[in-house]
Amino acid sequence: MKRIFRGRIEKGGKGVSEEDVKEKGGSDSWSAEQWHEVKKGDTLSKIAERYYGDGSLYMKIFEANRNILRDPNLIKVGQKLRIP
Amino acid sequence: MRKFVLLMVLVIFAAGLTVTGCSKAKGQAEVALKAAEKAISEVKPEAEKIVPDQIKALEATLSGAKEKFGKGDYSAALSDAQAIPGKVKEIVASLNAKKDELAKTWTNLDQGLPKMMEAIKSRVGILSKSKKLPANMTKEKFEEAKSELDNALKDWETAKESFKGGKLAEAVTKGNAVKEKAAQVLQILGMPVPAAAKS
Repeated sequence: MKRIFRGRIEKGGKGVSEEDVKEKGGSDSWSAEQWHEVKKGDTLSKIAERYYGDGSLYMKIFEANRNILRDPNLIKVGQKLRIP
Repeated sequence: MRKFVLLMVLVIFAAGLTVTGCSKAKGQAEVALKAAEKAISEVKPEAEKIVPDQIKALEATLSGAKEKFGKGDYSAALSDAQAIPGKVKEIVASLNAKKDELAKTWTNLDQGLPKMMEAIKSRVGILSKSKKLPANMTKEKFEEAKSELDNALKDWETAKESFKGGKLAEAVTKGNAVKEKAAQVLQILGMPVPAAAKS
């Protein structure tokens, strides 16, 4: 099965990276937005697979984060991505 | 004989006074009962929606006063009836405080719930396109989430209708039910439940 490793940031990531699922802090106590902090070894497709079960849906995450991402292949450790 | 006539005159005079006094007390009680009834009827339509227990208690007091009046206990009926307008004022104060509280709650729900619903709709839309569901979700759970989302959206529309119809308490009750339902759906989908939806 062909796997997409879009957005890989570093070589040597071991399996699925540890991820934080958390609400973004702030004054909006009604926000149900989900956020993912990029860890070493993360790719958008891996993140999509974790949240959607399907890595090919990585563009949904990319589109939701166009304000901080220019290229789906380039994500940085520590970036907080909104998971739509 | 003169003494007897004098005594009779006195008795008749006393009886007259008693009848007059009684009649006066009856009249006062009647007026007080009517005033009490009117005071209650003015606040009842709104009060029974928002503070139903308080208005029921006051109606029971009025019924009690009427019962006493019926039994000829005019002074007791008068006393009970005269206390009612004061209690109506207390209900009005309580009603206004409750209305303010409900209005704040509704504003909060009206601003927050659509955000929750949008987040859920977005996720359900994406998961519907997914070839495979996330590891912690079964097909049954996903179907349940979709169904509950549909129900929540419909219920939210009825809550808004209640609000438009001036049924503030009903609107808030329905809105809170939608909030709970939406929070359940978020949990099923593995999404964070907002702080405002946890209370």
